[in-house]
Amino acid sequence: MAVLSWKHHTLIQTLLERGPLLEKDFHSIFTAITGQNPGTHQGKFNDYLLKINRELSYLQLDLRACRDPYDGRVYYGVVNNVSDEQSKLGTKYSVPQIAFFKAIVEAIAQDVTAVGCICNMDALNIKLENQVLNNSGSQSQDGSLGIPAAFRNFTMSQKEKTIDQLVIDKWLCYTEDDNIGVGVRSVLDLRSWFHNAGVPSCEVCNEAGLKARSCPNEGCTVRIHQYCLKTKFSQKGVIVCPSCDTQWQYQPPKAEPLELEDEETEVMQSQPSSQPLQSQVQSSLRSRRKRERVGRNDDADTVGCDTRRVTRQSAHLR
Amino acid sequence: MAIPGGDFSQFDISKEEKDKLVAEVIRYILFKTHQNSGCPIKREELSQLVTKNYRHRSLPAYIINQAKEKLSSIFGYELRELQRSRPSSTNQTRLSQQSGVDAKSYVIISQLPAEVYKKYVEDVNTSHMTGFTFVVISIVQLAGGKIASDNLWHHLKRMGLHETNENHPVLGNVKQALEMLVQQRYLQKDKVSGPEGATLFYELAERALEGTVSERIKQYITQIVKKDSTTEDIS
Repeated sequence: MAVLSWKHHTLIQTLLERGPLLEKDFHSIFTAITGQNPGTHQGKFNDYLLKINRELSYLQLDLRACRDPYDGRVYYGVVNNVSDEQSKLGTKYSVPQIAFFKAIVEAIAQDVTAVGCICNMDALNIKLENQVLNNSGSQSQDGSLGIPAAFRNFTMSQKEKTIDQLVIDKWLCYTEDDNIGVGVRSVLDLRSWFHNAGVPSCEVCNEAGLKARSCPNEGCTVRIHQYCLKTKFSQKGVIVCPSCDTQWQYQPPKAEPLELEDEETEVMQSQPSSQPLQSQVQSSLRSRRKRERVGRNDDADTVGCDTRRVTRQSAHLR
Repeated sequence: MAIPGGDFSQFDISKEEKDKLVAEVIRYILFKTHQNSGCPIKREELSQLVTKNYRHRSLPAYIINQAKEKLSSIFGYELRELQRSRPSSTNQTRLSQQSGVDAKSYVIISQLPAEVYKKYVEDVNTSHMTGFTFVVISIVQLAGGKIASDNLWHHLKRMGLHETNENHPVLGNVKQALEMLVQQRYLQKDKVSGPEGATLFYELAERALEGTVSERIKQYITQIVKKDSTTEDIS
């Protein structure tokens, strides 16, 4: 009694083998296999994904989409929903490497300015010993006794290598100005972790607002992603905070070097729809926005260190 | 005994428990495969997941079969069983003393047609390993299934792969890449004591001896050889 055909299997296997894929690549595979473009045959596409997810849910897995926090592009991936004994095996990283990764993600998540990245030097200076102390909760009498040797001896070059590997595997990414940000895999997989860690969610799409604009009103905790701002306020041209009604500046003259340019207005052409994409594919996808036509031809090779974040008409500028 | 596909009432567990066990086994297979880069998973490890909580003797077999079915229906993966049929000579004495050792292991293999796999699924970043695997297995097969280490390296050297090279632009540490093939059970190592001391031999192991794999390799080799011989004729 085959519920899923080889076409469903291909979609699943491609995500498992190649890791998270850009929406356009995933769509082009779908088009090639089924002969129907998800853009025009959205119902069919959703149908496929629903069917797949129904089967995958048996295994606590999920096929879902998410947005890259830095350029707003949509990615699809298969995600594990439950952390159990089996899933703890599913990594090639060592314990200190995982602790290091966790420390980086925490540093990014807890950044109140919602810049969404930390600079390379800060990452390399993270001391793993702090991770252990934080986790154990209580202070051990002699601080060094509780800390495994592997943590203490985690050298700078090991940290660099770990970061490189994490970027290749898409857990982290290099942002334009050579900072380190969260990668697509983290956005897909660590969704619940971000919620639990108290990262404020974007008002518009309800995903973790790691890299987002905060309301200039000091007392207001609203955050909205740059790409979500565009969808919500594009027609109006004026941004007003949904909670405290303060007006947000459309081109804020923040002192930070990571800021938007005037190119924003050029970008408007690529977003005809006015509704945000929900990341849970299971919930009905409403009208989808057209993706920006990124210049390079990514068809054959989507995997790999995507360190080139050149701003063409990318929606998400700093 | 166990009626395939249906009657688990004899096992005295509920459907939910059975489903949970099958899911655990499948998840274990998926995550472990990722962690050890495709090295076979021992049957014992899977059985243990079941026997950890349930005592019924034939339950592991039933659960593993169910997992096999689900892997195929949900993912299109075949859970292929490999049998350690040819123990290397060093293990001979040990194995004969261990009776009833379950030397079965499993790998997952995509059931998609080759063209589909190649076009949509294959990760181009790992195809260098596939290429390397094919080359090495072909060499060993052409040598009759077993080849001395020196001889193998002699052939690899002709392709620019040196035993001492740790920084090959594609394969990195070449020796380690070869080791990987041993771990993935395409090859096994064998020390044969001869008049000049012990020589290291590489022999084809379960994964390379498996029917379809073996056949296909022969086909590809024939294709390559045919191509070469025709060009020779022309000149």
